[in-house]
Amino acid sequence: MALSAPSVFALADIIETPSRPTDLAPQSLLNDVTKAGDRIVATGERGHIIYSDDEGQTWEQGQVPVSVTMTGIDFGTEQHGWAVGHSGVVLHSGDAGETWELQLTGIEAAKLAIETKQEQIAELEEQIEEAPEEEKADLEWALDDLFFTMGNLEADLDVGPVNPLLDVWFENEDHGFVIGAYGMILRTNDGGETWRDWSARIDNPQSFHLNSITQVSGGAIVIVGEAGNIHVSADGGDTWERRESPYSGSLFGVIGTGKANEMLAFGLRGNKMLSTDLGQSWEMIPNDAGATLNSGMVADDGRITLVGNGGAVLLSTDGGRSFRSYFRDDRESVMAVVPVSGTNLLIVGEGGVKFTDARGKNLQ
Amino acid sequence: MSNPKHDKGEHYLTTPKAEPFLERLIFNNRAIILIVFFFLTLFLGYNAIKIQPDASFERMIPLEHPYIVNMLDHRDDLENLGNFVRIAVEVKEGDIFTKEYMETLKQITDEVFYLNGVDRSGLKSLWTSNVRWVEVTEQGFQGGTVIPDGYDGSRDSLEALRQNVLRSNEVGRLISDNFRSTIVYAPLYENNPETGEPLDYGTFSRQLEEKIRDKYGASNPNIEIHIVGFAKKVGDLIEGIGSIAYFAGITILLTTLLLYGYSRCISGTLVPVFSSIVAVFWQLGILKLLGYGLDPYSVLVPFLVFAIGISHGVQVVNAMAIEASKGFDPITAARLAFRALYIPGMLALISDAFGFLTLLFIQIDVIKDLAVAAGLGVAIVIITNLVLHPLIMSYIGITKGGIRHVQSHGEKQDRKWRVMSYFAHPGVAPVSLLIAVIGLGAGLYFKQGLKVGDLDQGAPELRADSRYNKDNAYIIDNYSTSADVLVVMVKTPEEQCTQYNVLRAMDSLQWELQNTPGVQSSASLADVSKIVTKALNEGNWKWYEISRNQTIINASIREAPAGLINTNCDLTPVLVFLEDHKAETLQTVVDRVEKFAENNSNEEHTFLLAAGNAGVEAATNEVISSAKNMMLAFVYGVVSFLCLLTFRSIRAVICIVTPLGLTSILCEAIMATSGIGIKVATLPVIALGVGIGVDYGIYIYTKLEKFILEGKALQEAYYETLRSTGKAVIFTGVTLGLGVVTWIFSPIKFQADMGFLLFFMFLWNMVGAIWLLPALARFLLRPDHMLAKARSKE
Repeated sequence: MALSAPSVFALADIIETPSRPTDLAPQSLLNDVTKAGDRIVATGERGHIIYSDDEGQTWEQGQVPVSVTMTGIDFGTEQHGWAVGHSGVVLHSGDAGETWELQLTGIEAAKLAIETKQEQIAELEEQIEEAPEEEKADLEWALDDLFFTMGNLEADLDVGPVNPLLDVWFENEDHGFVIGAYGMILRTNDGGETWRDWSARIDNPQSFHLNSITQVSGGAIVIVGEAGNIHVSADGGDTWERRESPYSGSLFGVIGTGKANEMLAFGLRGNKMLSTDLGQSWEMIPNDAGATLNSGMVADDGRITLVGNGGAVLLSTDGGRSFRSYFRDDRESVMAVVPVSGTNLLIVGEGGVKFTDARGKNLQ
Repeated sequence: MSNPKHDKGEHYLTTPKAEPFLERLIFNNRAIILIVFFFLTLFLGYNAIKIQPDASFERMIPLEHPYIVNMLDHRDDLENLGNFVRIAVEVKEGDIFTKEYMETLKQITDEVFYLNGVDRSGLKSLWTSNVRWVEVTEQGFQGGTVIPDGYDGSRDSLEALRQNVLRSNEVGRLISDNFRSTIVYAPLYENNPETGEPLDYGTFSRQLEEKIRDKYGASNPNIEIHIVGFAKKVGDLIEGIGSIAYFAGITILLTTLLLYGYSRCISGTLVPVFSSIVAVFWQLGILKLLGYGLDPYSVLVPFLVFAIGISHGVQVVNAMAIEASKGFDPITAARLAFRALYIPGMLALISDAFGFLTLLFIQIDVIKDLAVAAGLGVAIVIITNLVLHPLIMSYIGITKGGIRHVQSHGEKQDRKWRVMSYFAHPGVAPVSLLIAVIGLGAGLYFKQGLKVGDLDQGAPELRADSRYNKDNAYIIDNYSTSADVLVVMVKTPEEQCTQYNVLRAMDSLQWELQNTPGVQSSASLADVSKIVTKALNEGNWKWYEISRNQTIINASIREAPAGLINTNCDLTPVLVFLEDHKAETLQTVVDRVEKFAENNSNEEHTFLLAAGNAGVEAATNEVISSAKNMMLAFVYGVVSFLCLLTFRSIRAVICIVTPLGLTSILCEAIMATSGIGIKVATLPVIALGVGIGVDYGIYIYTKLEKFILEGKALQEAYYETLRSTGKAVIFTGVTLGLGVVTWIFSPIKFQADMGFLLFFMFLWNMVGAIWLLPALARFLLRPDHMLAKARSKE
């Protein structure tokens, strides 16, 4: 194994420390994987972003300016992709994942969020002045909540960029969302040049974590998160509606099934549910595995694969109505999956990259 | 032949008056001296028998090396990181999820719990309550002991056990990857917390064998037990020391036979053997009185003392036989032998002693002990074999057979000596020198591959096929663990060891090292924090990071394993697991850590090397590499100086020392080609080899010079030298070789290495003295000058 030469630098903050080129990246923790055209791109701990043009046989490591644990990656086009991670970092690549630039950190994100809160506070204070007496008490409660949230944001900012972003979704090379801990959500319409805090548009007063974002057939955008949070936007992200969840635990992933307005949400302890009406109603899917589910995918032939902790690989051939569970021998957690040739899978997770059959059994 | 009474050729160290005094002092008080010797021997022999094996860890490491100083400074903080035993209980057929297996494991766990020396609070096995599984639920965590509540050995409870094992995070640590064995992990107290007594490794290791391996291996034939850990290794070493007794018996027997073949004289055989055994008893007795024990190194010294005693005794027997054959009575023969031998004998023994004492420069206690034990032993040989031996012989005398043997045999062998005297011939000498130069070139070429440190896998002290190393290999193959651990200590201000910047710095160091060849993995508080932060966030790997929020860090390390945070929270270790303990591996890793420490140590965190077995080995290697050349310089310096003092001639020194130098280089070449590294055990070999090897040259040169001063030509002088002392020199080489050759069969690997190398050194130095010394003399000595100089003095 060709290991890299010693680095001789004094310690800088990890958002200023470029990710070290290393052969160990494909075997280290990887949290997300996606496709940029035919290229597979995965990201994980220590700022690793790796890409493969041969379905995962060989990997190259992208140049990344930070060393934080990365959590999510998505490409709006074949060339333009974004990756997010701890310390609120947003990275952008314009060359299909080979080089990355830092567009946003948790410091700017927190400042944007604080501005939003200040605007909300100003707005609410105006409302209170104009409101009839009997409504004032309620509004003042809401105002207190806002002050409390802003206080938290400011206290965090004193420490630094403490909170992680957890997922990213881009529609094209201009428009996208990043979401994360404590209800963090930001939107851009210019490919990440400028960002706007979108938290005021989401009904999440307790600032629960937002874990996963995706677009389902039919065009709706869906976010799921902690404590059964489900938010749907039918107008491309401008406005969001909260949906009731039959399950009050954490949801870690949401995917479309390939049919219009149909989606699967899943999370803690293997709970998973299907909606055919953009989340207006949900049907719980029988849960026999019990392992937390992290992510999933729909193959071209309609098969749905969910992956999770303890090496769980769940397979559905009936559009998500029922699943068969398999457990990988190594029992290591699987964080994400992409389809490769045939019915095979490329999975990433605790132990890095693995090339497997449809049931998650190693092929190499 | 000159009259021995007027022989003044050998008196260099002393004025002529002193010699009769010493001789008179000894031989005029024979009875008194012998009685004193008798009681001294009784007293010291009684103490010698009480001497105990002792393999203390601290004596085998360089205590003054900064790594070791750091380690010992923080010994209390790092408690239990290094000293533990792991007992792997393997099932031969099937897997661990059976009622029988779990029952045996329970009994073993209980048995280990009650072993003296085990830190019971840290004991871990599937059956201890500190081995748990944890699961995230909507309400938080749920968990329990791995052994399910109400376990009854039924199929259901075994299935529940299997589930718990899978979610316990102990697979690869406490449970093997293939579910065919589990480990009972027992941390040990270095000192008993109640009595303060140090752990008796010998007893502890024996108890592991008797109460665990033998007992449960017999009661459940379907299991096999593998035990590793420092305490077990030391226990096995102590066992190995015991087997030395057999070697001692064999050596004495072989030497006695050889001596009889040489002298054909019962008294000339038994008296030197007896005197040499007396020397060994004195040496052991004095060591005991000085408070020493016998470690695996110093246990070899009695062999050397015995062999040196015999080799000098042979000179006495030889000289006496020659004098007796001239018709002198035993007491006169003994006096003459004493007079002829005490100067070269003392010189040879003093240079032996100084050769050994150069080992004191190596800052490792076992080597210093070896130096003291060997130096002491040689000093004793001066008394026993130059005083006691001639005194006894002065009563007994050489037997008739012995005298006849000298006379008849001597004449038969003269032809052989005549042939060998050609080594000093002007035509042969250049050829010898050419061969020596070629040998030197080859030696220098091959010794380039000489490595520092231990080169084999596993516990290098023991043989690769030893029980311990097989157990070690089993555990390495079946568990995610390495036997070679380097510990970097991270020092912080008090109560600051969990600060974000500290964890972040440790994490950087770890990643630096994981990207270093030879490093398998690493672990620290930073890993604990990341993994628990992940767990606290519902087991979501996206949270696998050191939080910038100190409150979250503090929560994440609340239940960090003992040993990762000290009481004051001002020290936390980084454990680096290595692929092996080859010197290059250690050096590469240590260099990276030092560079990192230099660049990144500040008032918040200082990185200190080193603890762990690999840290100790890295320090030992460093001490040995730097001591090696100094030790060689000293040993050659001392030997050359003593020769110069005696013979007052640089040319004489070159003649004597050059063959030794050639042997030393060839010895290193042999080490390089046979995969023996320079280590604690092999470093003393060259000092011992040179210190003892110089004797041959001294005996030969003494005679050679004497005959030259009598006016003989060089080759003729050498012929006479061989006639008078050649046989004794060859015999000495063989005796010394025999004295160490049995070690090759020692269960302790480094004793075998030492035996092999010393065997070579002793024999080859003898060959060098007989073959190369006269060739050098042909080029260097100028008999005319020597004669003129000697005459001008008179």
